[in-house]
Amino acid sequence: MTGDRQKIEVKHLTKRYGEVTAVSDLTFTVEPGVVTGFLGPNGAGKTTTMRMLTGLVSPTSGTATIGGRPYAQLRRPSRTVGAVFDANACHPGHTARDHLRVYAAMGGYPDGRVTELLDLLDLAGAADRRTRGFSTGMRQRLNLATALLGDPRVLLLDEPGNGLDPDGVRWLRGFLRRLAGEGRTVLISSHVLSELQQLVEDVVVIRRGELVAAGPWSRLAGPPSVLVHSPDADRLAAVLRDHRPDGDAPRVDAAASGRPDGHAARVEAAAGSRTDGDAPRVDALGGGRLRVHGLGAPEVADLAAAHRLRVHELVTERADLEQRFLELTKELTNELTDELTDDTGIAA
Amino acid sequence: MRHLVKAEIRRLLATRVWTGLLLAATLLGGGLMGAMALVGPEHFDPPMPGLDTEAGVRSILGILGYTAFVPAAAGTLAVTSEYRHGTAAVTFLFAPRRWQVLAAKLATYGGAGLAFGLVLAGTAAAALFGVAAARGVPLGLPAGTVLGLLARIGLAMVGYLLIGVGVGALLRSQVTALCAVIGYLYLGEPLLMMIPGVNTLYPVLPGGAMAALTGFTYLADAVSQELGSTAVRLLPPAAGALLLTGYALAAAAIAVVLPMRRDVT
Repeated sequence: MTGDRQKIEVKHLTKRYGEVTAVSDLTFTVEPGVVTGFLGPNGAGKTTTMRMLTGLVSPTSGTATIGGRPYAQLRRPSRTVGAVFDANACHPGHTARDHLRVYAAMGGYPDGRVTELLDLLDLAGAADRRTRGFSTGMRQRLNLATALLGDPRVLLLDEPGNGLDPDGVRWLRGFLRRLAGEGRTVLISSHVLSELQQLVEDVVVIRRGELVAAGPWSRLAGPPSVLVHSPDADRLAAVLRDHRPDGDAPRVDAAASGRPDGHAARVEAAAGSRTDGDAPRVDALGGGRLRVHGLGAPEVADLAAAHRLRVHELVTERADLEQRFLELTKELTNELTDELTDDTGIAA
Repeated sequence: MRHLVKAEIRRLLATRVWTGLLLAATLLGGGLMGAMALVGPEHFDPPMPGLDTEAGVRSILGILGYTAFVPAAAGTLAVTSEYRHGTAAVTFLFAPRRWQVLAAKLATYGGAGLAFGLVLAGTAAAALFGVAAARGVPLGLPAGTVLGLLARIGLAMVGYLLIGVGVGALLRSQVTALCAVIGYLYLGEPLLMMIPGVNTLYPVLPGGAMAALTGFTYLADAVSQELGSTAVRLLPPAAGALLLTGYALAAAAIAVVLPMRRDVT
């Protein structure tokens, strides 16, 4: 099993609780080898989806598979999937070691693995303390240790950053990146989008139980913008607006995202991206500052020099995940969602 | 399955429930029985037959049977604490075939119930014989019969613990399940005995089956006399044992079957 690359496939997944539809016809794929962020406002259906993936909640219809199999049919599930859905899932009367020993026995793992994980998750000093005295961050790490007992190829984490201090968040980021680098499949949901921005390569965005967008973040975010500070801002804005790129304008594509497999071609929603030949968009921010969309910093600098306009500062800014997320979840109409997904075929 | 039982044993031994259960068995067996024998049933209020009569011995053994709510509550705690502390989801992630988890719990807690019953019966026997000898009161039943009755009570505790596991799996909410188990066994059944008409059901309820094991009719008779209702007729001991086993098996079946299809949220 070790070394397997396990893909998560969700197809037409629907969950209804009486009249309420928590998840509606959801279809997406999570690839191994990258960290995928699962985004959506509160109540969007992220947790329900993750619980359906692991068989804790039965879908009304549709399928969710890991490595091609439903969770319940995995031969030794904790070897394949490690999941943390509730940071506080531990008996207050158990010590950290007791907790891990229970699940080590359940999964058939030696006690040595418990010690390893206590060390790895920096819990060795608190191993023999009852968990009722643990901080949320310590419980979070204990549950992560539990999920890692079987050294699983797939990791599902619901809000893993909750309760972690900045050091803990940095550690988690590096840790998850390393796991993904080993070819594992990592799906994490979080409402702290700034945490995810520096971590995820792919995103799945849902709203009201429906897919809004899925694919590499680099493509979803669209091309970066350029922030210019110039005493000649007005004239520079006019020059930039009149410029017509020749089609070689910098774009973030499959090659740029470092994904040689053409993964970016599967981008399922890229609302807002420009097509070649469009005029650059220039927003005047006041105080001599401009934000330029559709041109790279070298082109802006060259154009300014060609027109003998002064530039005091030039900064390339990548799209902000939080901003993009808000746009996607608030502004996209259902029609646009349908159109986008129909175009790419991710949600049939 | 072997892994699951090992995990459940570790889970049980890691909490204070286990120590509490053994302590309760000792206090209820040795402590309660010792205190009752020391005071003497004839000094109870209202007075009961003395230890030198068969009815007196059966009565204090029967009262011991009323402590069955303790192992039942422990069984309920075992299952509901998994839901209360959110570990049920973790457990079912490790073992998606949920019936196996509950079967492992039943096996583990069946063992714990047996240990509870043995300690309860053992300490009760020691206290009863010790205090009776110290007071110089000859018991109204031969020692062999007393030990046999205590063994029945001890074994019945296993059944009650499994009933607790079943109720826990059925209700899942810890407070609700504990209230239901303790409330019903401790208060509900004795109250049912007082309701004319309904009291005819008493012999086939778990408490009636337990009373049948020891032939403990004193309480039921006293209630009937007080209310002028028809005397409750308990089942024969063997039928009581069979009925209690039936309740335990039904509870075990509920525990195993119910969690299969329910969502764990």
